[in-house]
Amino acid sequence: MKVEISRRRFLQGSVALSVAGGAALSSTQILADSKEKSQTLLMKKVPTICEMCVNKCAAIATVKNGIVTKLDPNPYFPKSRNMLCARGAAGIHALYDPDRLKYPLIRTGERGDGQYRRATWDEAYEFIKDKMVKILDEEKDNRSCIGYCAGEGLAEHTYKTFMSDKFGSSNFLNHSTICLQTAVSGYTLTIGGYGQADLENAKYVIMAGANRAEAILTPDTMDMFKRTRGRGMKLVVVDPRFTNTAMHADTYVAIKPGTDLAFVLALTYVAILDQVYNRNYVAKNFVDFDKYQKHILENEYTPEWAEKITGVPAATICKIAHDFMAAAPQAVFYQGRRTTWSKNDFQLRRAMALFTALGGGIDVKGGIVFGKKLPLGEHTATAPMYANAKPRIDKNVAAVVGATGSWVGWRNMVAEGKTPYPIRGMFVYKQNPMLSVPNSAKTKLMFEKMDLVVVIDTMPSDTAMYADVILPECTYLEREDPVQSFAGIEPAIILREKVIEPMYETKPVNDIMRELAQKLTKPLWEITKKYDEDIQAELEDGDEKEVFEEGGFDLAEPFMHSQEETNKHMFVEKYGEEAWLTLREKGVFYPNMSTYFKKIDNNTYQYYPKDKKFYSVLKLEEEFDATAYLHDTCVNPVDIADLKRSFNTPNKKVECYLGSMASKGIDAMPTWKDEDHVKVPAGKFKFITGRHAQFTQNSTQNNIILLELMRENYIWINDKEAEKLGIKFGDTVEVASSIGKVLIKAYPTPKIIPEAVFYIHGFGAKSAGMTFAHRNGASDNEIIEDTIEPVHGCANMHDTLVSLRRV
Amino acid sequence: MNYAMALDYQNCINCKACEVACKEENGVQLGADKQRIWVGVVEGTIFGKPFANLYPAQCNHCIDAPCVSVCPTFASHFAEGGIVKVDAHKCILCKGCMEACPYDARFVDDTMVAVDKCTFCDHRSLEEGGTTACQTTCPTKVRLFGDLDDENSDLVKLLKTKRFFFQKEYTGTLPKLFYILPDDEAYAKQSVSHNTIIHTWADIKPLYDEARTRRSKEWKK
Repeated sequence: MKVEISRRRFLQGSVALSVAGGAALSSTQILADSKEKSQTLLMKKVPTICEMCVNKCAAIATVKNGIVTKLDPNPYFPKSRNMLCARGAAGIHALYDPDRLKYPLIRTGERGDGQYRRATWDEAYEFIKDKMVKILDEEKDNRSCIGYCAGEGLAEHTYKTFMSDKFGSSNFLNHSTICLQTAVSGYTLTIGGYGQADLENAKYVIMAGANRAEAILTPDTMDMFKRTRGRGMKLVVVDPRFTNTAMHADTYVAIKPGTDLAFVLALTYVAILDQVYNRNYVAKNFVDFDKYQKHILENEYTPEWAEKITGVPAATICKIAHDFMAAAPQAVFYQGRRTTWSKNDFQLRRAMALFTALGGGIDVKGGIVFGKKLPLGEHTATAPMYANAKPRIDKNVAAVVGATGSWVGWRNMVAEGKTPYPIRGMFVYKQNPMLSVPNSAKTKLMFEKMDLVVVIDTMPSDTAMYADVILPECTYLEREDPVQSFAGIEPAIILREKVIEPMYETKPVNDIMRELAQKLTKPLWEITKKYDEDIQAELEDGDEKEVFEEGGFDLAEPFMHSQEETNKHMFVEKYGEEAWLTLREKGVFYPNMSTYFKKIDNNTYQYYPKDKKFYSVLKLEEEFDATAYLHDTCVNPVDIADLKRSFNTPNKKVECYLGSMASKGIDAMPTWKDEDHVKVPAGKFKFITGRHAQFTQNSTQNNIILLELMRENYIWINDKEAEKLGIKFGDTVEVASSIGKVLIKAYPTPKIIPEAVFYIHGFGAKSAGMTFAHRNGASDNEIIEDTIEPVHGCANMHDTLVSLRRV
Repeated sequence: MNYAMALDYQNCINCKACEVACKEENGVQLGADKQRIWVGVVEGTIFGKPFANLYPAQCNHCIDAPCVSVCPTFASHFAEGGIVKVDAHKCILCKGCMEACPYDARFVDDTMVAVDKCTFCDHRSLEEGGTTACQTTCPTKVRLFGDLDDENSDLVKLLKTKRFFFQKEYTGTLPKLFYILPDDEAYAKQSVSHNTIIHTWADIKPLYDEARTRRSKEWKK
């Protein structure tokens, strides 16, 4: 996609370059600098994949003389539908952020005070090696004594391959238990998969807590807001806040936080009692429906009962239940994403899935669909077996702790010194637990207890300030990442290509893992030989070189090829050389793209013809495998496969009763438990948190152009409650919970219910390394209490009570 | 050529993608008050229930643009197709145009030492199949840029099938941002004031054609 254009044509465009530090060069300045030369400016357009959030929208980067000047949407990717949001367009300022981590750093001061010295990569690796050798020698080759965590991203798997498969630690943590684990497993164990809501065709959608206008999710956001307000989709938004999504709703239902389960149970009660559910579908597909019916009716989950708990009028509940079933099966109770709210969350997701299923909206156009995934070739690595590597420490903090752990449960064990064996170190990649995990004080305590903390990131985050060694990763625009296949109604494969060479001394994680592995392989092999009895036994009869090589103890082996080579290998095996050229040129590939893809007008593209879309998997006569139908990388396929194996849910059926859960002390059917519900006493508020369309969690907090759109976060408080407390707009208030206090400015508004207060997650960084984010607004996790729900150990993000005081 | 834009404003989710894309595309000066494009928010309560309306906006490229008439140095001018632009070299920063504009669509660009404003991205939108950065980037595709002179353009085709209104029509500047009235009556009522005049293509076309003929002599080729 290289295009050379003449200087003259470039100038005609009167495009000014917006570059590092926010300086803008005007066209007149360019003219003045090169008045007499008639040279050509080298311009190229490179397809890439956005990494400003988790959606993976396809983008095209314009590069002029080596500087990325613009990011435009790439129309070829069906999932991102030719769009790039504010954060996507602001990616340039992540690349040219003057505060970026530029060189490897080694800590010289105390943890947290930000004193570091510049080091060479070799020095940094050497430092890590010495510490690791000492720790593993003392811990007798128990690889799990080094924990590791990662934020979601295309390169997350590369990092995991090293830490888990090669290095051999079982203590992995990712965003799942502070994000969407309960929804993924609630839906998976009930209807066989998390699926994708077909918002292009659904006629009735209930969104409870999900906020697709502000927490943008592709293609849902683009599909639904073209169909609201009498254009095909009835939208019910259930939320304690009147959000930008609620603004588009036909019905907005203000609900008290933590009571959604009562709302759904009452909907179910109405549907069952009034016999308006899809009886044909239920008879064919439900298992144990009689039990569920009995359970719902006998517990008297009536709308009147729910009204007292939720604050939603009984008549509204009745109407929604009837309208939903009238539109079914083109009716969806939307799954939602960041769903770790309160103790009953898993049961809530189960009840939601069951309610959708009662209408028959599963695996059908306009319902929850599973789509298809285009296969990719394999890139294999041999994982060594370490006899002394122990299982994860947090396996008993909840009923089912998966491969991604329980962030809060794990952290608390380490911070409180309650681990079965010592956790001596931690690797952190692209995650910022200081800001993202409830109760920051405990996260700090956890890091302080460790002998080695390594952070791989692009920005000097609050977590980086607790690292002994900081390894600077290049941004997504400076690297090629593993090729990725996205399942869905319109499946496609995408490729993030390198737009420019890595700046400063930064490196892609594939290179970091290779170099670190090369440094660690030999000394760690010596430790394994010293303590691993299985290896010692093997060595007695075998040749050391053979045991080492066949056992996969060369830790660098999966990273020896460049990312480009690995991608080509994985792709060409399935689709051939010609398709590979298409993928590299367009950034997107799917079979028949050249004939299917059509531009209809500047706002509309066809990706697949109507009759070629993958709405139903059961009708495809393929083996139904929910792990193959995940349409985004936030949902961990390994976790889902594990869940299904452990619980033996028969495929193609809707499960009302989970007997295997009951044996673990978890309700087999969604049950409201009054004692689990945190009630709001007088003088207190329930604190809720959430997302917003201009920032992605805390990862964009230093982005100068996004800060123009929203300078800091404010606390939402109901205007009448604010008046009682004498709080006016812009007043600084102290928000105190049982675990901490923050100061934040107030935004009194009628758009929130009286019982709750809210502010956006992602602000309030303490790292002085980030000029714009430093002490800007307040961090939610300084006040959110660190309780977990009983099924997966997910954080209860909305169970904290706070009091407000004007200061 | 007579360039204009239709806005299906009911699709807007206030994500502000357009604001960032505009800044990056055009190298607009950094700063929260330096915007060529913005989303207007009107919110309040009706009988205690909250409501909010969003009106994405930018320069209206009025046919009778007061900012052009008021400019003493001819820096403000009509470019090709009636696009209102500022020639930075001629601007003396008297700011008369900023006073004259009914839409507050202009601001001072301190790096250029001149007034800056929306250009309908004419460096990219006038190419075959091209459009503005704000239209391209928009997740819910609020905007449609096109040529009012071309009966077969997507823009005119849309205007022929919908009713629409203008912001501050009473100022008589003949603006060219066409706000498409939602078909849903309840929402249409909620998002339009009592005084707003609702138009159809048939009723507005003669007026706009006449004005175009009158003013287009000033349009640069």
